[in-house]
Amino acid sequence: MGSAKARTRRNNAIIDVLLFSICLVLLLPLILLIANGFKTPAEMLTWPPSILPQNPTLENFRTVFTETPLLRWIFNSLAFAILSMIAIVVTSALAGYIIGKFPFRTINIIFILFLTTAIIPFEVYMIPLYFQVKALGALNSIGGLLIGYLVMSFGIFLIRQNVIASIPDELLEAARIDGAGEFWIFWHIVVPLLKGPLAALAVLAFFQAWTTFAWPIIVMTRKTSFTIEVGLANFQSAYTIELSLLSAASAAVMVPSTLAFILLRRHFVEGISASGLKE
Amino acid sequence: MASVEIKNLQKSFGQVKALHGISFAIPDGAFVALVGPSGCGKSTILRLIAGLEEISGGEILIGGSVINDVESKNRDIAMVFQNYALYPHMTVAQNMGFSLRLLKKSKPEIMKAVKEAADILGIGEFLDRYPKQLSGGQRQRVAMGRAIVRQPQVFLFDEPLSNLDAKLRVQMRAELKALHRRLGATTIYVTHDQIEAMTMADIVVVMRDGVVEQVGRPLDLYDAPNNAFVAGFIGSPAMNFFQVTTKANSDEVVFDDGQKLVLPSYVELDGAFKIGMRPEHLVQCPESSGFQVSIVASEQTGSETLLQAELNNQDMTILLRERFDAAPGISHNFTIDPALVHLFDSESGARIVI
Repeated sequence: MGSAKARTRRNNAIIDVLLFSICLVLLLPLILLIANGFKTPAEMLTWPPSILPQNPTLENFRTVFTETPLLRWIFNSLAFAILSMIAIVVTSALAGYIIGKFPFRTINIIFILFLTTAIIPFEVYMIPLYFQVKALGALNSIGGLLIGYLVMSFGIFLIRQNVIASIPDELLEAARIDGAGEFWIFWHIVVPLLKGPLAALAVLAFFQAWTTFAWPIIVMTRKTSFTIEVGLANFQSAYTIELSLLSAASAAVMVPSTLAFILLRRHFVEGISASGLKE
Repeated sequence: MASVEIKNLQKSFGQVKALHGISFAIPDGAFVALVGPSGCGKSTILRLIAGLEEISGGEILIGGSVINDVESKNRDIAMVFQNYALYPHMTVAQNMGFSLRLLKKSKPEIMKAVKEAADILGIGEFLDRYPKQLSGGQRQRVAMGRAIVRQPQVFLFDEPLSNLDAKLRVQMRAELKALHRRLGATTIYVTHDQIEAMTMADIVVVMRDGVVEQVGRPLDLYDAPNNAFVAGFIGSPAMNFFQVTTKANSDEVVFDDGQKLVLPSYVELDGAFKIGMRPEHLVQCPESSGFQVSIVASEQTGSETLLQAELNNQDMTILLRERFDAAPGISHNFTIDPALVHLFDSESGARIVI
């Protein structure tokens, strides 16, 4: 007995050490990036690289914020990501619920069509879409950027699966007998029960838009309408040698996305722990 | 309160016919159990009455008016589901007050109704809890409370006790019955458990394959089943059936192995029949009379003895109210009061009435 307990303890210790080192490996580039933002150009080039800056300076951040429209880019990205997130959550909730609970043949065909869009790479129709956005006069606008980021086929799939798995028909039927209308049911019963998956989807959608690069770079041609990803890339070509400036800009950019994740993460956990009806 | 009448009700799911013209009437305030094996269409009837499925043919009347095209919410019914269908994100009070909230009743009015129902069901102390914090029996009560609060014309129960353990089921059975007596509301109760149907209902509707086999009071079904199916379905342990032949002007029926049983009242019958004998009606007798069966196994429960036996290589069950020490493989003679024997047509299974 005692030896079994000791073995469990030893195994746990080994697992802890292993996980800790994996965490370290994952976090190291991030730590280096943030640290680099505070280093002088000279220190950047030393080998081996120092983890903590020797003479920390805010000069890089000052330059980045005064000489480039970094805040503007962050704002553009935020606006784009939040609007895309809202649109995707709304469309996925509605479509996923309807596909999951009203399985008529036509609806199933539409669902299959939704799914097929997921296997066509965005790059295939990116250019035709660009011409359409151009024809609409929506280049350099959030509206133009949002086209293609309003619906996520995976989101619809995710919500459909959750609706099927965690919302029993009886719940909806009970509400119908009690006199609830269809939209009332959706809003007061389905949406609250999907809080978890919808929050998870919101995180996904937000970061999909936040990190997207190819689409913004072709739709946003004016420097002030860049999203942050495009802005950072632009940085790189303009300041090829100034690695410390790029690091500072990247570090600054991480703040809003990290904040968003921390805020949404709480719902994430809630969503996983909230269970449905009876087992 | 209202009467419910079902006239030639039909339902098809695509090519599959689930109900083949069902008719029965439920008087105002009666407790009716729809019982039958799974897939017999009993739940479908309930869902048609609730308006959750569209009627393919026939009529349903509640309180004398046809409600075929009336929406669920306007039928003035309440339904209790097998899995309770409680809203997990609402408290017990919110769950129970749900329908009143939809009727735009005032908050104090809703609270009053919820409190009353909760007191009837003894769940007053749980009003602020969420369904997942309740036990199965408590959830069941909340589901019933949600139905009571509405004061509907008709209560519909869809196998409400099947998710409970055996002991709780017996307790809830009594509570449901008491509740019905107290509220006096017309109740339609679907179950596959004939004991539930027998113990709770005023009228039992036995169904099979989308057809009503018999409608009647529980003991009438037990004493005079219309056919072999009802005879086999009602009563536990189930009735024993054997093929027998009889000749006109003979007071005996003959089993396939040649053993005989005297049945004076069936003298005029001639041909092959199915004989039905309830396990609890068989009694031990001397070797000179009755018929011989060989014992396969015996289960003693103290108050009674359940014997698994064979007659002509066919299984049969015998339920004795007294202690009976029977070793497997040994033969014993049993007989039955001729008045308690059921005879059915060997083809159609219909009851032979003399």
